[in-house]
Amino acid sequence: MIEVTQLTKTYGKKHNIFTALDDVSFTIPDGASVAILGKSGSGKSTLMHAMSGLDRPQTGKVVIDGEDILTLKTKAVDKFRATKMSFIFQSFFIQANENCYDNVSLPLEIANVPLKERRKRVTDALESVELGDKIKSKAKNLSGGQKQRLAIARAIVNKPQIIFADEPTGNLDSATGEKVEDILFGYNKKNGVTLIIVTHDPDLARKCDMQINVKDGKIESIRESKTKSIANVTKKGVSTV
Amino acid sequence: MKVTDTIRRAGRSLRNAKARTLLTSLAIGVGAFTIILSLAAGAGGRQYAQDIVASNTNVLELYVQPKQDDQSDSSKPKEYSEDPSISYGGGFSLKLLQQSDIDKIEKIDGVEDITPVYNVSAKYVTREGQKKYQASIESFTSTLKQEYVAGNGDTMGANDVVIPEAFREVLGFVDNSAAIGQNVTVAVDGATLGAPDKVVTLKVVGVVGESALASIGGSAGLQLNKDIVKELYQYSQAGTPNENAYTGATVTAISESKVQDIKTAINSQGYEAQTAEDLMGFIFQFINVLQGILIGFGALAVLTSIFGIINTQYISVLERTQQIGLMKALGMRRRDVGRLFKFEAAWIGFLGGALGSGLAFIAGTAANPWIRDTLNLGDDTNLLIFEPWSFVAVIVGLMLVSIGAGILPARKAARLDPIEALRTE
Repeated sequence: MIEVTQLTKTYGKKHNIFTALDDVSFTIPDGASVAILGKSGSGKSTLMHAMSGLDRPQTGKVVIDGEDILTLKTKAVDKFRATKMSFIFQSFFIQANENCYDNVSLPLEIANVPLKERRKRVTDALESVELGDKIKSKAKNLSGGQKQRLAIARAIVNKPQIIFADEPTGNLDSATGEKVEDILFGYNKKNGVTLIIVTHDPDLARKCDMQINVKDGKIESIRESKTKSIANVTKKGVSTV
Repeated sequence: MKVTDTIRRAGRSLRNAKARTLLTSLAIGVGAFTIILSLAAGAGGRQYAQDIVASNTNVLELYVQPKQDDQSDSSKPKEYSEDPSISYGGGFSLKLLQQSDIDKIEKIDGVEDITPVYNVSAKYVTREGQKKYQASIESFTSTLKQEYVAGNGDTMGANDVVIPEAFREVLGFVDNSAAIGQNVTVAVDGATLGAPDKVVTLKVVGVVGESALASIGGSAGLQLNKDIVKELYQYSQAGTPNENAYTGATVTAISESKVQDIKTAINSQGYEAQTAEDLMGFIFQFINVLQGILIGFGALAVLTSIFGIINTQYISVLERTQQIGLMKALGMRRRDVGRLFKFEAAWIGFLGGALGSGLAFIAGTAANPWIRDTLNLGDDTNLLIFEPWSFVAVIVGLMLVSIGAGILPARKAARLDPIEALRTE
């Protein structure tokens, strides 16, 4: 369970103060798929950074598994991210000059996983995103969809509890994007991993269990979209922005 | 993150920028090249000097001179002394040893023998039907290791002589062995005006090849029996104030362990004694200074390359901002990020060190025969001696220097804000 309580993050000083997050509170149950929906500049990325401990808001709490990660020391937060979280980015951020194996192996190396176990887990992760045959290929030789699947393999290889995906389909055409979505949601359902997608795409948001609409650093609405009617409400909510 | 994984990743990053890595390490390689060659030249020089000193001096021997006045300030008048001395222009003079000094030193415990230095030159040396040649005269010493090309000095008699190969040639002997048993004539000038030359006839018992000493300007004179050298010297000085006075004397100790005691005793009596070791020390010091200067040039090259490494690593950090951001987002610790870049720098240092010292080894090994021929060092003498420890020391040293150079860029990488680094807009 992730509990976000009264999170406030400001940039700048006095006259030039800019509030990126303004008193944000919500709770995400374990294993849920959550969309953080908002326009660019709405504060949705800042929210993701705060929830993952990359950013330190001025006030508020982010409690994961009963621990407020904002009070932890840098070293402990790093360990938290290395073992319990992972990331998927719009522009993949894979190492083009390295092969698929080395790309996927990075989080395991960071988390000090022994070499023997690493090999098995990297192979498994690549196979689960249908890149088992590309293990020795250089990442730069992959297509866009394959690159994002490689990034997913890297994200799941350390068996995280939470996956943060920042516009995961933003750089992909709709067909490959859909495949990536399928893999992400499939993994989320199958392994009970909490999936947090940051997006401005309402169609993608609609596929999530929960949608958090962010506007000007504030939560505009939180919807649980188990039924189609809620999806319509979401659409309406976005159109009113 | 494990150190081995970090080192592997560091190496891989460098492979991805091969040209840049190579060029950066070449700069440090120049330093390694110079330092390795300097060390090799120093080692070779010391070895060579040791060979020369060993073949031309005896560890049991000490060279004794009178204690000279302080001559650093030539503007001050100096007190006159009745003792014999050789005066040079400009107020410089060289004190001499007298027979009484020789007797005094001979009584020191542990002294087996003392031989004054007989400074005498032949007016000429010749033999029947040949031209006359100038020559220097030395006392024959059985302890000296010499390379005989014919005969030897083992049974050196009073009227025997050992001649260098060069004299064998000009005196008209067809080959080295033809000279053995033949007579040569040596003449020495009288001391006073009108005194006749003293002429002695000597039998050649040995011919020596070019000695190691000859190549550094050492004398290659005729070697005569000590007694006849004394006789000739006295004849050449008879009637002058410097009769029975000597520029120095050679003291032989009864055992090697006594040498240092004798030196102390002689010095305490107001003389200056030099052991073979001192002589070697003096030469070594000279070589060390030269080596130090050469290493200084190498160090300068290394210093220059440090800026190259800093620059390269800074660019590398800038280029890989996103990679660093990603690694930090994935939970890589600051320390490990910094380490990654320091190890990259260490790799550059290793590469440069290995490249430079490898090239130095190849070049030095190739140059050794050429140096030997050019300087006439004699067979088997290598002026560049490569010692394994020097490679290890230079490579490890350069790796440490590189890590030092990598500290600033590594710190920049470690402090990078992952959020900034991963911003795509």
